[in-house]
Amino acid sequence: MNRSAVVTGLGFITSIGNDRAAVTASLRALRGGIERVEFVGNPALSVKVAGTVKEFAVDSPSWRDWRVPERYVIPRETLRGLAPHGVYALCATDQAIADAGLTGDALTDGATGLYCASAGSAFLLHHHLTQMHAARFERGNPLGVVMSIAGTLNFNLAAHYGIRGAVGGFAAACASSSHALGCALDDIRLGRQTRMLIVGAEEMNAETILPFAAMRALSTHPDPATASRPFDQARDGFVGAGGAVCLVLEEAETARRRGAPIYAELAGWGQAADGHNVAVSHPEGAGLAAAMRRTLADAGVAPSDIDYVNAHATSTPTGDRSEALALRSVFTAAGARPRISSTKGLTGHPLSMAGVMEAAFCALALRDGFIPGNANLVQPDEACAGLELPRATIDEAPDLVLNNSSGFGGSNVCHVLRRWAG
Amino acid sequence: MSPTPAPIAVPVPPPTAAEALLRHFPAEVRAAYGRLRDTGDPAAADTLVLAIVADHLPQKGRALADGQELIADLGFDSVAISEVVFFLEDLLQVRVTNAEILRVRTIGDLRAFVRTKLAAQAAAPASALRA
Repeated sequence: MNRSAVVTGLGFITSIGNDRAAVTASLRALRGGIERVEFVGNPALSVKVAGTVKEFAVDSPSWRDWRVPERYVIPRETLRGLAPHGVYALCATDQAIADAGLTGDALTDGATGLYCASAGSAFLLHHHLTQMHAARFERGNPLGVVMSIAGTLNFNLAAHYGIRGAVGGFAAACASSSHALGCALDDIRLGRQTRMLIVGAEEMNAETILPFAAMRALSTHPDPATASRPFDQARDGFVGAGGAVCLVLEEAETARRRGAPIYAELAGWGQAADGHNVAVSHPEGAGLAAAMRRTLADAGVAPSDIDYVNAHATSTPTGDRSEALALRSVFTAAGARPRISSTKGLTGHPLSMAGVMEAAFCALALRDGFIPGNANLVQPDEACAGLELPRATIDEAPDLVLNNSSGFGGSNVCHVLRRWAG
Repeated sequence: MSPTPAPIAVPVPPPTAAEALLRHFPAEVRAAYGRLRDTGDPAAADTLVLAIVADHLPQKGRALADGQELIADLGFDSVAISEVVFFLEDLLQVRVTNAEILRVRTIGDLRAFVRTKLAAQAAAPASALRA
């Protein structure tokens, strides 16, 4: 296998910033994007905070009411089929394409593919079906399907950008966009594609976020500054978030030849499932540990080579403990002590989008030379004994980083990214 | 000189539904809907149809004429035509079949179709009208 892949473009619509510079500044300064939110105008709800998306107003079921920053131009033909998170996705993808310096037929020549991940728009699906119920299913919005079901991102973005390579979507809840990124790497390694766009996005609304409150998975802490506190003893659930991230992955020689800006190499990936429970992670993190080992092996590196781990840790009592134990079994047991942080203390947890967002954060850390700290971590859980969990961001350049993701059904996916030496 | 067209009776959806559908349209279009609803003025139906077509135009700002074909001349795709039909169904509380859609090629076809549809609706027994 001699084809490798590098990250050449990034685009962000996240709770901590709507472009690369803002996101980098937030990661360095540990400036969070979580705010007080009163979902559906109901003060009785126990969930009081969320990782909000700023500058956009997309809370109407009609695109005619939406407001998008003027720097983005979205034609009607595209807008009519988008969900709110599709708007975020398109804006993030526009950024990433510009960042990568892709012009002309680079997107449409068949050598570029597109993998996406989102849960779809529960909000628009509900609206669409409510309309159809009211009309006794005699009529409905003709775009109702493509704007709402899982797959809405790849349907719309592929058409909008004229993508003619591999196109598909991934549905593994919070590991989805990590699957997308890993499979994109495979496509480039196998010579099937030269370039892949990987997009993860989710909505920040009651329909997407609050069903997790029914699972008792969300934090009910009212203070936006401390509600998301991965690995902390006082954590009480995750903070939902929305937004979109696009990452451009490109065959290394092609990228080098055209003088593309290279953030990092995506050196390997791997996955392993828990085989345990539909919604609860394995108590010792067995699947995640196996996924990390497979990923390290795929990248040809040892645990002691890893300088930084961007943990999946979402701030749930069970999940963070499982991940801490998995990290101990992979790293501590091997005598390795990488820095570990969960950036969800800043961003909240954007579900399907988390994997690619955090891979993009890793790429920024590698290129710009820093290791994000653990926001809101005061007293680490005893399960974290022996793990290196810096509170503050470290001004130090990592060479190799590991990115962890876990999703429902016990899916665990990891990536290794390597600093690009040129 | 053509005879004055007979007034058309339009089934009245809840005002809020029509207002919501037309809230982004110019005042004269909303007024045309009011005239159509209150007096059955067929010219008001024409105004509405033209405004709805214009609103769904793939390329904004093009002047519209009866002879223009929605697909060949104005760049509509079949989804955009379905959007127009859905909008008309919702606003005018009519039901349009696939076969009827396929017969509409030009703006003139669409105007005539809507007039005919509303007239047929008006002639139907009240019990046949859907709320």
